[in-house]
Amino acid sequence: MNSRRKNLLGGILHDNIVLSGLMVISPVIICGDTLRNALALIYAFSAITFLSVLISSFVPKKLPYTAKVIIYALISAAVYIPVKLAAKEFYPDSIERIGIYYPLLAVNSLIVFQTEAKFFKMKKLDMMISLIFCIIGFDAVMLITGFLRELFAYGTINSKIVDVNTLINGLSQPFGGFIFLGLMCGVYRFIRSFVSKNDRQIRSEASVSDK
Amino acid sequence: MFLINDLITLLAANLILSQALGTSTIFIAAGSKKNLVGTACVITLFTTIGSAAAYFVDKALPSSVSDMRLLFYTIIIGILYILLLTIFYYVGRSYFEDFRKYIHVSAFNCAVMGTLFTINQRAAMDSSLFELGGYVSAGFEAGIGFIIAAIILTAAYRKLNSSKVPAAFRGFPAMLVYLGIISMAVYSLK
Repeated sequence: MNSRRKNLLGGILHDNIVLSGLMVISPVIICGDTLRNALALIYAFSAITFLSVLISSFVPKKLPYTAKVIIYALISAAVYIPVKLAAKEFYPDSIERIGIYYPLLAVNSLIVFQTEAKFFKMKKLDMMISLIFCIIGFDAVMLITGFLRELFAYGTINSKIVDVNTLINGLSQPFGGFIFLGLMCGVYRFIRSFVSKNDRQIRSEASVSDK
Repeated sequence: MFLINDLITLLAANLILSQALGTSTIFIAAGSKKNLVGTACVITLFTTIGSAAAYFVDKALPSSVSDMRLLFYTIIIGILYILLLTIFYYVGRSYFEDFRKYIHVSAFNCAVMGTLFTINQRAAMDSSLFELGGYVSAGFEAGIGFIIAAIILTAAYRKLNSSKVPAAFRGFPAMLVYLGIISMAVYSLK
């Protein structure tokens, strides 16, 4: 039961696609410097990934691996078109800033490779729950990154000026993105090992009390 | 002097260090010399040939349907993916088992797709770049840039994965910080 729950809900903490799998990190590094960009990317990633994986799950499993990978990529490239058209209405400013990273979201490894390695080995309902938690995991990282980088790089939150004493302009640059994500990965790993150590301790105490 | 200038230009235009394209792929490439050679060769093939094909797509595609560019680029990469696998299967059957994983890893990733979109963006801003030769050389340059970044990461790979680094930061986190520092140095060259 526990491992099933871990499989389904792991996308947020245990198997976070950005911090643990290092997938879809280029948009986080380059475009995750403001909350607005982060929201535009969250919308695009969530919509494209959810719809693409859902549609791809109907592709016959008997096809050769290479053919399936190409079909998954084509499906996500097709899903990208209406998502981009809608984004032009909701996030016209951010679209320009995000630039080439917008289409790159559609060929992310979660859609192209993880579908085959992870999602399609599950039952449909389990797959959808796991997928939603993977997407929430990405969204959470994107939000935290966008919020903190905007706060410390520009001294604003969602373009509203905030009283911050120390500004680090470099955080808005690609190198700032690399370093910030590296530090975030380290903190995430520390928290993850701390949580699993606590879990193990609780389980061993429970087994002692059972005896 | 020309060589130094070229090297600086290559570094400054490096898609990994300046645009973070293909960062996760470079971590695979930096793992061993074999991975470095395999991934770098296949990525360079994809970016060079893919750029040539992208030129014809960009030439034929009207700007009113530019959102369909991704679909056409995906078709290009898909065809290249099948072609490379087929060629390697028939030409170098002894290497095929070893080499095919690099083709699978390199086909659909940000390094290749990002290169095609970056070249298209540059050509849209500077019409003198909008020619077949310009596309091919930019694609080849991107592949070389990938190799340079992979070599830089390979040089520090063991140390960043050693037991001297705190457990939480060992491996990927340390490599990201390291790439950030190199990227900062490259940023100063611009």
